[in-house]
Amino acid sequence: MILKANFSVMALEIPSTLEQEIDERITHYPVSKRSAVLPVLHALQHHFGYISEEAVEWTAKKLDLLPIKVLEVVTFYPGFRQYAPGKYHIRVCRTLSCAMAGSFDLMDSLCQAAKIDRSGVNHHHPIAVSEDGKYSIEFAECLASCGTGPVCMVNDDFHEKVEDAAALLGQYRD
Amino acid sequence: MVSLTAKTVAYIDGSAYEMEPGDTILKFVDRHVGRGHVPTLCDAPQLEPYGACRVCSVEIALTADGPRRVVASCHTPLTENLHIFTESKNVRDLRRNIVELVLTDHPLDCLTCEVNGNCELQTVAAKVGIRKVRYPEGKNHLDRTKDLSHPYMTSDLSKCINCSRCVRACDEVQGQMVLSMHGRGFNARIIKGLDTSFAESDCVSCGACAQACPTSAISDVHQSKAIEATDSTRTVCTYCGVGCNLEVKTKGNEVLGITAPVGAEVNNAHTCLKGRYAFKFYNHPDRLRKPLVRYNGHFEEVSWDEAYDYIAKRLGEIKTQHGPDAIAGISSARCTNEENYLMQKFIRAVIGTNNIDCCARVCHSPTAFGMQKSFGTGAATNSVVDLQYTDCILIIGANPTEGHPVTGAKIKQRLMKGVTGIVIDPRRIELVPYAKHHLQLRPGTNVALLNMFAYYIWEAGLVDREFIEKRCENWADFENGLRSLDLDELERIHGVDREQVKAAALDYARAEAAMEFHGLGVTEHSQGAKTVMLIANLAMMTGNIGRPGCGVNPLRGQNNVQGAADMGCQPHQGAGYMPVDDPQWHETYEKFYGMPVSDEIGYKIPQMFEAAREGKLKALWLMGEDVVQTDPNSEAVKEAMNALDFLVVQEIFMTETAQYADVVLPAASFLEKSGTFTNAERRVQRVQAAVEPLPGTKPDGQILVEIMNRMGYPQPDYTPEGMLAEIAQIVPFFKGATWDGLGDNGKQWPIQEGNVGTAIMHVGQFKRGLGKFHFFPFRESEELVAHGKEFPFILTTGRLLEHYNCGTMTRRTGNGRIVTKDVLAVNPADAARKGIEDGDHVRIVSARGEVILEAQVTDEVKPGVVFTTFHFPEHLVNNVTSDVHCDDTLCPEYKITAVDIEKVLDEPGRQVHSSRIVPAEVFAK
Ligand code: SF4
Ligand code: SF4
Ligand code: SF4
Ligand code: FES
Ligand code: FES
Repeated sequence: MILKANFSVMALEIPSTLEQEIDERITHYPVSKRSAVLPVLHALQHHFGYISEEAVEWTAKKLDLLPIKVLEVVTFYPGFRQYAPGKYHIRVCRTLSCAMAGSFDLMDSLCQAAKIDRSGVNHHHPIAVSEDGKYSIEFAECLASCGTGPVCMVNDDFHEKVEDAAALLGQYRD
Repeated sequence: MVSLTAKTVAYIDGSAYEMEPGDTILKFVDRHVGRGHVPTLCDAPQLEPYGACRVCSVEIALTADGPRRVVASCHTPLTENLHIFTESKNVRDLRRNIVELVLTDHPLDCLTCEVNGNCELQTVAAKVGIRKVRYPEGKNHLDRTKDLSHPYMTSDLSKCINCSRCVRACDEVQGQMVLSMHGRGFNARIIKGLDTSFAESDCVSCGACAQACPTSAISDVHQSKAIEATDSTRTVCTYCGVGCNLEVKTKGNEVLGITAPVGAEVNNAHTCLKGRYAFKFYNHPDRLRKPLVRYNGHFEEVSWDEAYDYIAKRLGEIKTQHGPDAIAGISSARCTNEENYLMQKFIRAVIGTNNIDCCARVCHSPTAFGMQKSFGTGAATNSVVDLQYTDCILIIGANPTEGHPVTGAKIKQRLMKGVTGIVIDPRRIELVPYAKHHLQLRPGTNVALLNMFAYYIWEAGLVDREFIEKRCENWADFENGLRSLDLDELERIHGVDREQVKAAALDYARAEAAMEFHGLGVTEHSQGAKTVMLIANLAMMTGNIGRPGCGVNPLRGQNNVQGAADMGCQPHQGAGYMPVDDPQWHETYEKFYGMPVSDEIGYKIPQMFEAAREGKLKALWLMGEDVVQTDPNSEAVKEAMNALDFLVVQEIFMTETAQYADVVLPAASFLEKSGTFTNAERRVQRVQAAVEPLPGTKPDGQILVEIMNRMGYPQPDYTPEGMLAEIAQIVPFFKGATWDGLGDNGKQWPIQEGNVGTAIMHVGQFKRGLGKFHFFPFRESEELVAHGKEFPFILTTGRLLEHYNCGTMTRRTGNGRIVTKDVLAVNPADAARKGIEDGDHVRIVSARGEVILEAQVTDEVKPGVVFTTFHFPEHLVNNVTSDVHCDDTLCPEYKITAVDIEKVLDEPGRQVHSSRIVPAEVFAK
C-alpha cells in the first residue's frame, strides 16, 4: 500500500549532511521506502534530540506516508522521545549490577544536583528535564560495563564508578 | 450437514461441513453455525481480519482426538480436515478471562450508556458468562474526557476497548486514515489526526468508524447505535448517483438515525456524511406544509382541493387559448422513477406536449447523448464492483471523493493498492497524489487532450484491431482524423506536456482492463457531448468494453438522474428512450397512454426559458427544481420566471424559484415516499418511506396522480408496485422488474423477465449493433473567444463533499456548520500578481455580472484558473456563469467562465456578501 498526502511541512531545518545520511539509509530499503521509517527517525532523534511534530511530518513526506502512520511508530517505541531533552542528557543504568552498586542513589543525587523533578516520569515518558532545560535524565538498561557500576552516560560520554554527582555535572556546565 | 462426496470439509465440534475458498476458521463457523456462536470483539464483517482481542479463540487439532492448540479463529485460515472445537472448557475459560480483563478498564455504566442493548462488549460479556470481575480495581482510563467538538462525530474513549476497529474502518472503508493507535500497552489510546479532536482532524464524517466501533467509544450526535428506535426501513440515499443503501431508524414517525447496511452491494457498511447524517432537513421548521396560491400578488394558504381546482382551471385556460405547447414541465432527478414517469406522462398525455425536460439537461445530458451515439445506450457500461478487476482507472473531469464519496473512496483504495490511476483535471483533486498521472489541462480543452491521448495509442500500435473490425464502425474516418492532428497546436491548447500525455495514454492502452469514470468536467462544456464520444472512442480502440473491469462510466450527479432520463423526461425521447417523432413509437405511446400525444420534439430547459421570455411559453410546472439558483445566468432565468403567466412549483422548501410561483405545492422528502431510484450503474433500487409525510404534505407522485385525475385523466392511485408495473409495460429495459423482485440490493437494467439484471452491458455486441467512432476537432469555447481578452481568467466550478447543490437540504443540517461558505481558489502566482492574500475578498467580474468571494490561495489550481463551488446561493456565483451551452444537448457550460479578479478593499459601508448560515440552535438535535 502506498500512502501519500497533500500536506505541507512546517519549518524544520535539516542540515544537508543529515539529509544525505537519511537518503543513504533509505536506499537500504529498495522494495518500499516506507520500511525506512525507523532508521530515519533514529537519525532525526540523534540530531535533534527528540522527534518533534515537524519531524514526524517531514519523515512522512520523505517516505510517502501519512504523518499519523509515523506518529504511530514514534509513540509505540518508548525509545523515541517526543519532547526535547536537556542540553546534557544523562542515562543512568538501572540493571542488576549497577542497581546493586547504587545506581538508584546515583539517580537521586543527580536529580538533586541538577534540580530535576522525576515525579511525573512513567514508562512512556521516561525522561525528566531540569527547570532550566540544561539537564535531562532517564534510566537506561544495561550499558555494558557491569563490573564498573554504577554506570551512566552523559550524551555520548561514558562514566564509570560514578560517586560524586555534583562533580560529574561540573564537567557539563555551559 | 451436507453430502460429503468429493468436497473438501473441516469439522466443527465433531461434525463435517463443506469449506469454501478463502475461509478463515471464523467465517466457516459463522456460515455453518451462525454469527455469534464464536464470540468476537475486534472482528467486523466489513473489515479485514485482525486478530487483536483473542476472544474468538477456538481449539484446533489435526485429528479428532489429536493434540489441540488454541488459535484466534478470525484470522486463522481454514485447512482441510481440520477439527475445530468451539466450546471446550479451555477456550471458554480463556475467553472469559480475556473479557474480564477488558472489563477491569471499562466503566460498567451500561444502564445509562447510549448503546445499551446494542453493545458488542455487553453481548460478549453475557455470552462468555461473566458474573464478576475477579481482579482488583487498578489503574484505568475511566477519566478520559469526551470529544464533542464535531457537528456529527463524538467520542468517549473511556469506553474504548482498543480493538482498532475504528482505525481499520477509517483506513479500509473510507481510506481517510484519520485515526490511529497512539502509544502501546496500558497507554495505548485512539487518536484523531496528530492527536487533535474530530473537528480539527481531516475526518470527513463518513461515520464508518462509529458504525464499526463495538461500544459507544466512537459514536455520533444522532446516537445511531442506540436501540431506542422501534422501526427500521431500508431505503436509498437521495444525495448522489452512488445510490447508497440506508437503514433508517425511526420511532413514532420520527427519524432517529441512519446506518449503512452491512452487506449492501453498493455500500457495504459505508456512506458519506450526507447519507448518514444530513437528514435533519426533513422535519425542519422551514418545510412547506400547506399549498400556497398567489391571489392578487400574495400567497395564501389553501386546501389541496382549492389548489388543484385553481391549477386545473388556469392550465385549462392556457391550453385552450395558446395550445398545449405553451405549457412545459421540468421534472426532477431527485424524485423517483415513478414520479418522473408520471411527470412526463402528465405533460405528454394530459397536457399534450413534449415540452418536458429535467435537470439532467444541466449535467449529464451530453453523456446520455454521446453514449447513445457511440454505443446505443446512454448509461454506464459497467459496475462499481468492477474496480476490483481493473488495472487502470482513468478519471476525467470528476472529483469522486467529493462528488461521489463512496465510489471515490473505493477508487482511492484501489489506487493505494497500486492500480494505475490517470486523472485528467484542471485541478489537483484529492485523488491526484494517489494517481500515477495527472494531466492538468486548461479548462475547456478536453477535446484537444483526448485527441492527443488517442493519437499516442494509435501511434504506438496499441489499437485493438480485432475488436474494431468485429464490433465497430467508422474507424477509418477516425483514423484519418487522428492522422490530421497537429500535436504542437494541441499541446499549446491544453497546456500539458505531450510526453506526460503519451505516458498516460500508453498506460491506459496497455492495461489488461482499463476503466473510465467521468463527471461534469466532461459534460458541462460547449463540446460536452463530443468529449463523451471521444471517451467512447478510447474504450473501443483499446477493446475496453463488454468485460469486467473496463468501460465508460459516468458518475451521475443526482441520485436519480439516470432514472429521470430513462423515464422519458426529455423533450425528444419518451419513457424508455423511444423517439417521440418516430411515427411507429408515437403510435405506441398514444395507444399506451390512451390519449393523443404530440409527435413534435419539445423544448429543452434553456429553450423553455427563452420561449418564456419571448412570450411563447405561458405556463411552467416545476417539480423540485430551483432553477433561479441553480441554472446559469440567474438574471435571465428570473426574467423568464417573471414573464410566465402561470408557474406551479412542487417543493419541500420555499426556494428562490418558488417565490415566483403562482401555486406552490408542499411535497414530501425522500424519507417520506416510496418508489425506485436508479443509480449511476443502472441499478434500480427500492426507496421505501421510513416515516409518514409531514402533515399537509404529499409525495410528488401522489400530487401528480391527483392533478391528472382532476384534469380528467384516469390515472390509478399511486402505489410503488402499481407504478413500477405500469412502467415495466412501456420501458423495454424494465420489462422484468417487479417491486418485490428488486429485493434489497436492486437490479441493474436491462432487467429481463424474472428480475434478472445486467451488470455489464454491450457484451459481445453493442446495443446499437456496431460501436461507432467519431472524430471532432477542438473548438475554443465561445465564452473565451468573445470575452477571453477582456476577462483573462477562467473560472471553473465544482462541488464539495459536505453540500448538495444550492444547499437547500444540506445547509439545514449539521453540514452547514462544517462548511459555511464558498471560497475562490486562486493560484499563488496570480494572487501575488493581484495583491491577493488568503482570506481577502475578491471581486469576480464576468461579462454578465460580478460576485464577491473570499480567496483561498492554493496551488491546487494552475495560474490563470480560479475555482469555486456553488453551494451558497447568496454568493450568487451563477450571476457570472455563462449561458453558453453544449452544441448537441444545450447542457450549460458551467465549467468555463471568462472572468477577471481583483481584491476588494474593505471600504467602510461596502456591502460584502456574507453567508446566511442558519445558526446552530435551529438544528433540531
Ligand atoms: S468518520 Fe470516517 S473519516 Fe472520520 S474518523 Fe471515522 S472513519 Fe475516518
Ligand atoms: S474507539 Fe471503538 S472501535 Fe476504536 S478501538 Fe476503541 S472500542 Fe475499538
Ligand atoms: S456517497 Fe452518495 S449515495 Fe452514498 S451516502 Fe453519500 S451522497 Fe448518499
Ligand atoms: S548493569 Fe549497568 S552496565 Fe550492565
Ligand atoms: S475477534 Fe478474533 S482476535 Fe478479536
